Amino acid sequence: MNPDLLWRYLPSLISGFGVTVFCWSVGGALGLILGFAIALARRFPFQPLRWGLRAFVEVFRGTPFLMQLFLLYSGGPYIGLRLSATAAGVLGLALYSSAYFAEIFRAGFGAVPAGQIEAATSVGMAPFDILMRVTLPAALIAAAPPIVNMLIILSKETVVLSIITVPELMYQVQTMAAETFTAFDAIFAMAVFYWLLVESVSRLGARVENRMTAFLSPSGARA
Amino acid sequence: MNAPMIELVGVGKSFGAHEVLRGVDLSVGRSEVVCLIGPSGSGKSTLLRCVNFLESYDSGDVRIDGRLIGYQDLPGGVRKPMSARRLREMRREIGMVFQHFNLWPHMTAISNVAEPLRRVRGLTAGEAADRATAMLSRVGLGGRAHAYPSQLSGGQQQRVAIARALAMQPQLMLFDEPTSALDPELVGEVLEVMRSLAAEGMTMLIVTHEMGFAAHVADRIAFIDGGRIIDEGPPRHVFHHSQEPRVRQFLQTYHDRNSF
Repeated sequence: MNPDLLWRYLPSLISGFGVTVFCWSVGGALGLILGFAIALARRFPFQPLRWGLRAFVEVFRGTPFLMQLFLLYSGGPYIGLRLSATAAGVLGLALYSSAYFAEIFRAGFGAVPAGQIEAATSVGMAPFDILMRVTLPAALIAAAPPIVNMLIILSKETVVLSIITVPELMYQVQTMAAETFTAFDAIFAMAVFYWLLVESVSRLGARVENRMTAFLSPSGARA
Repeated sequence: MNAPMIELVGVGKSFGAHEVLRGVDLSVGRSEVVCLIGPSGSGKSTLLRCVNFLESYDSGDVRIDGRLIGYQDLPGGVRKPMSARRLREMRREIGMVFQHFNLWPHMTAISNVAEPLRRVRGLTAGEAADRATAMLSRVGLGGRAHAYPSQLSGGQQQRVAIARALAMQPQLMLFDEPTSALDPELVGEVLEVMRSLAAEGMTMLIVTHEMGFAAHVADRIAFIDGGRIIDEGPPRHVFHHSQEPRVRQFLQTYHDRNSF
């Protein structure tokens, strides 16, 4: 362990960490939005659309993220899609995670008790109102824990972006290791940064979950 | 116009090969209270759910205040599904209370009651809150308006559910085993609310296992078994003078179990 070395490379490590957080948060947010849209669209009784979206989910869940990223970054130009490494990385994370988020939201919709929807139907509420006021809140609450889980997994998938030269944390760590021949120091620094990220995500997630489900526990709710 | 509030004529319904309802005739007059009793699996809940078309029926007519629900009869004997909009309009007039309350857990008691008033009756937030508060007081829960369902006992939750249905000012109320999911000591408070509703002249169709309640509150009892109404009449008749062996057997078991 060499503190001087770590100190010297700290600026590049911090910049790498910044890029990691940026790619993860933007990619994750886009993935959430896209995944939600897919789950919602799959509820429409239009078969071709359902099949198409199902195929999308199967492809992006069923193939390695690394391969998707390569295709997007190196194969993209062949179909006129010229992206910078970072843009390709963010888009790749968004597409990849959207497939998982779509499944999480689908399960969330499935977890809404039929009785709650029947109650809304029996008072004559319109389908859109039922969706907005009954189905969605219940589905989102059910989906919150697996969403936080997926976001944590996604934060660690960002290391793959180093392979298409996105200057994120893994990339900086590899550079540091190559320039100084110190594998351990570099890896140690990386572990600390990732731990920092995951720890704050899971804490934030736990707080959000608690807030969302406070009313479910007899003592926890604030009226 | 003197059409019965609810009129069922020859109502049939199958789930696949299983015939749940086999030509049920039943009518409930204005301000009348009718209890449906019978063994489980006899079709009484299905029958009740056909009245507001939560369950579709395959044959026969279900009429609410003279209007066919769920279908539209065209000239030439053709029947097609009613438009979703018209069905919603009819459902507004039919309150329903479920066995498992079916409150929306993410809303407080007052929001559960106010929500349909805002979305369906188009009341403003203030008007809906006022009416919801009044309804909660009426079922004895004025003080728990801001509690979430998880903070209420089963009996309280069911009373909120009754308030939610009543706030819509329905023409009639359907109850699907409203006390079956409750602890025995909480049954009374729910029955009390139902009793007062009956006394105020609400038209009610009730599926229940509470024989004492049925005997005291119902104007008529209908006994269902195997998807048919086997006997029907004033409580005294069904409970004490029925000639139907199936009815007598059912009530005997009931009597044996509840006497000690």
